[in-house]
Amino acid sequence: MKKDLITLRSQTVKKIRQFFDEREYLEVHTPRLLSLPGQEPYLDPLWTIAHRPDGWTGEMALITSPEYTLKKMLGSGFDKIYDLGPCFRDHEPWDGSHDIEFLMLEWYRKHSSLSDLINETEELVRFVIQDEFTIKPFRRLTVEEAFRLYAKLELNELIGDDKAMKAKAKELGQTVGTTDTWDDLFHKIFLSLIEHRLGWNEDKTVYQPTFLYRYPASQAALAKRDPNDERYALRVELYIGDLELCNGFEELSDPIEQRTRFEEEIALRKTLGKKTWAIDESLLAALPQIGECAGNALGVDRLAMLQAKTPNIGDLMPLPIKKRLH
Amino acid sequence: MGSPNDIKKGVVIRDPQGIWLVVEFQHVNPGKGAAFVRTRIKNLQSGKMLETTYKTSETIELVAVERRDMNFLYSDASGYTFMDNETFEQVTMPADEMGDDAKYLSEGLKVNITMFEGRPLAVEVPRKMTFKVTESMDAVAGNTASGGNLTKEVTLEGGIKIRVPLFIKQGESVIVNTETGEYVERAK
Repeated sequence: MKKDLITLRSQTVKKIRQFFDEREYLEVHTPRLLSLPGQEPYLDPLWTIAHRPDGWTGEMALITSPEYTLKKMLGSGFDKIYDLGPCFRDHEPWDGSHDIEFLMLEWYRKHSSLSDLINETEELVRFVIQDEFTIKPFRRLTVEEAFRLYAKLELNELIGDDKAMKAKAKELGQTVGTTDTWDDLFHKIFLSLIEHRLGWNEDKTVYQPTFLYRYPASQAALAKRDPNDERYALRVELYIGDLELCNGFEELSDPIEQRTRFEEEIALRKTLGKKTWAIDESLLAALPQIGECAGNALGVDRLAMLQAKTPNIGDLMPLPIKKRLH
Repeated sequence: MGSPNDIKKGVVIRDPQGIWLVVEFQHVNPGKGAAFVRTRIKNLQSGKMLETTYKTSETIELVAVERRDMNFLYSDASGYTFMDNETFEQVTMPADEMGDDAKYLSEGLKVNITMFEGRPLAVEVPRKMTFKVTESMDAVAGNTASGGNLTKEVTLEGGIKIRVPLFIKQGESVIVNTETGEYVERAK
């Protein structure tokens, strides 16, 4: 066990709490165990069985994020809230930046836009990490700009055009199979040429914290669409070095559109041969009350990894998953 | 035929553009998309490097290569020469293809070489290797990384520079992870 790094992770948690407490956010503790967990097609909750003394049993899952409960709280009148606690994701790689159980910070603020959220996230990271790379302003790049800069592609000309996307992907040396969707090809190009360069300066010697925002709408199931261009959605991620730190949205509050997107997600889960479950109706009912609202989910362990200068998330944990097996 | 899940450093892939050697790979799971394997591959005919990403569910053609244990003999202008101690066959890896791992080579070191059609494609040094610390300064106050991660830079045999904990002294031996180039522990 690395005592100094485990201590550093605890100090990171304290600093995060101080940041939000000073800004008058309320820390809340949402349940880890739900019968209707998040249903993002590419996230997999860990399921278990709960037993009631009268003999009833039911399937429940450990949450992949506290998002659904936090949104229900926003719908019931809370304005500025955060949750900092463990989340669980199955079927992710057990590598340097993932553990099956990790600490996630998620916060929401009403009357707040995506750009307010980006600014607040930058303040938070600067407050927690005081290091040379936090002195310079963080870069802000739209997905469209990133494709132009790193892949020399005009994303606007490719959105919604499967044929053009296939041709461009081939040109860039990617495999293009019959089962590849537009989003698969987007990821092949993004992962090959863009993502691993975002958090670095040009020659990969110095960190360059970069907010990547305004994603194609198909890549943001819970985000509001850009009112100026419906093909894009108001989603943001922050990259520092090789780490992706957070994923935030200007939240979709239209229950009708949200229902359609949930139905699409369930259909995709079925196509992928994955387990499906019912739409959380009380979440849809809460959405109209959240109004203009932005929220962000941030990996606390990864924030501590940056300070510890370790490429291994397990260094910060008393018992990483690899050491828990027998 | 094969799966991108079988991609490792030194694996050889055939596609309509030719034969490619995997130089770097990483499993990626973007959360908003399927599982992928991101690679850097090198075309063995043209030498061209390519960054490409496979979905783990797709099918790719993997080419069988031969893996042989050999020992390092010497380096000269033509590159790094290794010998099979049973057949006495020798192969030479050009310096630019040997890359960064060359610093770990010392005479007699046993390595694993990936051979394809009679030529060496990749040289794999042992993952953990022991080296003696040849130069180490005593720790200086303030010479600490943030977060209480107390380390110092030392020089190992062969001129390798590496960061180690403060308690490591000159003359002691340390174990290095050759994949990451980082200190693992003090050798017993």
